[in-house]
Amino acid sequence: MAPYKWQTSEDIFRLFHSIGRASLLYDIQDSHSGNMARRWKNAQGEEMIVITATGSQKGDLEPNHLCYLSPGETDFGYYKASSETDIHVKILSLPGAQASMHAHVKELIMATLDDQPAPKTPPPFVPVDPLAFYHLGPEIPVDWFAVPSGSPEMAKTIPARLADHPLTIIYGHGAMTRGRTLKETFFNLCLANNAGYIVRLIERQIRSTRAKRQALKIPEKQENSLPPEAPLPVGQPPELEELRSKIKAAPDTYFHFRPAPYEPDIENRCDFPEEDEILKEFRKTGNRLFESRLSPFHTGSMSVRGVDYLLYAPQASMPYEVGGPLLKLPLVQAPGDDTELLLHKKIYAESDFQALIHAYVPEAEAHAHFIYPGEETPIEKIIPVDAEGSFMYLVIPVLPPKFEEDRLISLLHDYRVVVVRGGGVWAVGGLSLSEALHHPSSLREICLYRLAAVERGLDLRKMEPEKAKKW
Amino acid sequence: MAIPGYHGRVLEIDLTTGQIKIEALASEDVLLYLGGRGLATKLFYDRIDPATDPLGPDNVIVIASSPLVGSQAPTAGRGHMVYKSPLTGYIGTSNSGGTWGHTFKATGYDALIIRGRASYPVFIDLSPEKIEILDASHLWGKNVPESTDILTAGSTPGNLYRALVIGPAGENLVKYAVVANDKNRVYGRGGPGAVFGSKNLKGIRVRGREKITIADEARYRSGVDQAIYLLKQAPITKRLMRELGTAGLILLINVINMLPHRNFLDVNHDEDKVERISGEAIARGYLEKAGSCYLCPIGCQRHTAVKTPDGQIHQGEGPEYETTVLMGPVCDIYDLDYIIQANYLANELGLDTVTFGGTVACAMELYEKGYLTPRQTDGLEIRFGRGDLLEKLVELTAYRQGIGSLLAEGSYRLAAACGHPELAMQVKKLEIPGYDPRASYAQALGYMTSPTGACHLRGGYAVSLAFFGGTKEIPRFSLLQSPIAIRNMQNTGILQDSLGVCRFTGFSFAIEPWARIVSGITGYDFSTAHLEEIANRIASLERLFNLKAGLNPEEEDVLPLRFSEIPIMSEGKPRAISRENMIQMRRDYYRARGWNDDGRPDDSYLKQMKIERKKA
Repeated sequence: MAPYKWQTSEDIFRLFHSIGRASLLYDIQDSHSGNMARRWKNAQGEEMIVITATGSQKGDLEPNHLCYLSPGETDFGYYKASSETDIHVKILSLPGAQASMHAHVKELIMATLDDQPAPKTPPPFVPVDPLAFYHLGPEIPVDWFAVPSGSPEMAKTIPARLADHPLTIIYGHGAMTRGRTLKETFFNLCLANNAGYIVRLIERQIRSTRAKRQALKIPEKQENSLPPEAPLPVGQPPELEELRSKIKAAPDTYFHFRPAPYEPDIENRCDFPEEDEILKEFRKTGNRLFESRLSPFHTGSMSVRGVDYLLYAPQASMPYEVGGPLLKLPLVQAPGDDTELLLHKKIYAESDFQALIHAYVPEAEAHAHFIYPGEETPIEKIIPVDAEGSFMYLVIPVLPPKFEEDRLISLLHDYRVVVVRGGGVWAVGGLSLSEALHHPSSLREICLYRLAAVERGLDLRKMEPEKAKKW
Repeated sequence: MAIPGYHGRVLEIDLTTGQIKIEALASEDVLLYLGGRGLATKLFYDRIDPATDPLGPDNVIVIASSPLVGSQAPTAGRGHMVYKSPLTGYIGTSNSGGTWGHTFKATGYDALIIRGRASYPVFIDLSPEKIEILDASHLWGKNVPESTDILTAGSTPGNLYRALVIGPAGENLVKYAVVANDKNRVYGRGGPGAVFGSKNLKGIRVRGREKITIADEARYRSGVDQAIYLLKQAPITKRLMRELGTAGLILLINVINMLPHRNFLDVNHDEDKVERISGEAIARGYLEKAGSCYLCPIGCQRHTAVKTPDGQIHQGEGPEYETTVLMGPVCDIYDLDYIIQANYLANELGLDTVTFGGTVACAMELYEKGYLTPRQTDGLEIRFGRGDLLEKLVELTAYRQGIGSLLAEGSYRLAAACGHPELAMQVKKLEIPGYDPRASYAQALGYMTSPTGACHLRGGYAVSLAFFGGTKEIPRFSLLQSPIAIRNMQNTGILQDSLGVCRFTGFSFAIEPWARIVSGITGYDFSTAHLEEIANRIASLERLFNLKAGLNPEEEDVLPLRFSEIPIMSEGKPRAISRENMIQMRRDYYRARGWNDDGRPDDSYLKQMKIERKKA
């Protein structure tokens, strides 16, 4: 039996505490679920593994909820530190893995449920959004386990899965992931949950639209031809499977651009610490993007333009306690600029905007795939059907994944917010980040109301203000 | 064929010769400069020698309307006037609500250009049927309400006369005399009334029912619906302005340590005293009813009444925020009776209350420091807190009597005459309004770079957003963000002035609804990108005029030393704006404008903006 080791490290505790809290805020844990682990060297230079204690509340971790283990000894006193300690230790022995995390990614769990008899071999999950597709891969493994919690079977299968994938799904239980940092593991889990949410929204949208088509006796598209009186299909609707197939076959056609790889090395960089007020604005906006689910953790980007530089947050969605990099960069294009940063610079070069936000609003992402009953192609504009939305924006343009950048800039001038199908949401502020933030925030509500109308079988066309159709 | 929204006609009157010309409005001017401020600036720039004496016959006054005026767009009834300012020596550009601007458009002209000098007092009588220059000898010497009543007598329902007039202050060439319509709505800052007076022009009477055409009714209408809705959504345009008027800002501005005190020496007030001059206090003790300019759903006008010392009830309009603050705490006065009575008299005699208040505050500091002597003031003890002197000083100033002849020159010339120009709180000789620049770097930069001098309306109304902007709120103490923010705010103001709409609509929305409305009216695609470009062009043309008129950016795009040397406390920290910070922000602002680091637009930028440089 290993000696009972209580240790404290302020930095480690702060990290675990902040990620734990964020995971609860993002609703990928229940009060006591999940676990987090990372490699760590103590003051004596000894390799250790820090892991959350079993049953600890991840949203309210205390210092004594962190267990410090040696890699070779996973018992902690009389108990395992966590029921999944052995799995974490094996994951952390993978090359490059410095952290691991398990969470109840509910949306993804729901999106992967099936009613096949057990034991079963579920198909991999195919994301239809660019974040999960590029960061987690085009096929995320799903494994069914007879004992889906801390079992030797899991300890064998999951590390093997994570040798080839950044994240793997435990059927009916959640996901496990590895990363170079704990933040990266949280990033992966948020993307996974978001991907499940988007797929579920699209699925509901398709089912409701199909029902509406049947109610209106509108013939189906040829490739999905079903007689109007046919019952709704069980499982994934063919339209969703068709979309997934097409995306897998040609992702570059269906997504605006490939997001830059997650950068753990710049996690805590801040290039403008002296600008108190702007820093506050960035942190406030980043926190709102995260807490209000306007973009998954450390995704999207935001900037405020100076005269010849921009203040840039490349991982815009960031809870207060975790933060993210805040950079000061030249406004002119520079070698190494990624696609997203280049677009910020181009928009500024061709406008007077003060602030820009690029966010992956999941409701907008899903709704951009909506096809009105009887029509063949996805929507080109989102027309609000709620009071505030319809007066703030008569319409919100939806661009296809591939477009001329000048078109985006022109639309931003006239509408201030633009959805890109497979590419997130771009929003501008004439004067401030706060102004820019209002757009994705309103857009999320606008999409929620429209999605609800579709789900309830209402006729959106009848609800949309006539005047909006000219815009 | 005129572009929809315009009549396509420009009227030019030479008061020296009596010549009247009607010219076609150039489509290119419309597409490049829109209307209102932009169009007036272009017509002005093309016709004036920048070196001309502002009070000489060669000064040119241009009044221009916008394509929205004549439509049902909310607040779109405003007019804009451009002239060379006798107070600053640079461009004067002033905007007014009321009803005159709308009626002027209904005469069938888009712009009126006035040059020359009549040999005797005259007024212009303008309607679709006739244009006349008529004798105004019987009006000379009469105050604003009297002149207005005489000129508008004989109105019939549905065919009303509207009058734009000056008072005795304009006739006496007070350098900050106003031109008033509806008796109390004024083209206020920089002395347009003196320019009228120098031309022996008492006023302009208009009457008309000419209508504009609208190219795309549905597009126009949807923009109007949207604008009206948003104005009714935002608390400040829906409720605060109507209930409390602009003075409703006083308590709020004080909360953010931005309410100036004693000629901007500090921002420290006794809370109880501030309450006494607040919008709430006006509403409780003086307000009879709120009022609105033409087509305005906001309704910020204050129709008030005050009991005079002899027990009479005196009715009038005001006070607005600026008047209350400049005649109030800036002079260390917290008595609304004094402020309101002085405000009424200033309106009647035709004085800009902002510059008047700033000048009196300067005089008070000069007096207390012994630089202005009792001999110069004819024994008047012009000390801080002397509210009892306000009305008297208004009268002396408007008639240029005694110390009034010095006060009539504005604070800079007054302080310079006393050997202490540094005590004038001005930029480009225009007095600073009621928002202390140390409490908002963006507002400070706005004062520094406004083409008309320290004006919150031309320099960018940044302070309003600092507190009321909601989603548009910008950091108050950011050196990095202020230059672009203020450039954008100035551009929004330029567009509002060029569209003929009220600045307060900016509390609810920026430009997008206006872009839809103006595109619907004209049938041209005035996207917001296009409008931004127009605003940048107008700003550069105004700059070009000022540079030609002798502006020295290094020396004149700055705040007085007081704001660098004496910090105020705001948000728990001492706040001053060092010269170094001013220079940094100013340089970044110039760059944001596309100008050189010395604040001059170069030839390539002017070419890009399609601005033709005036020949030397």
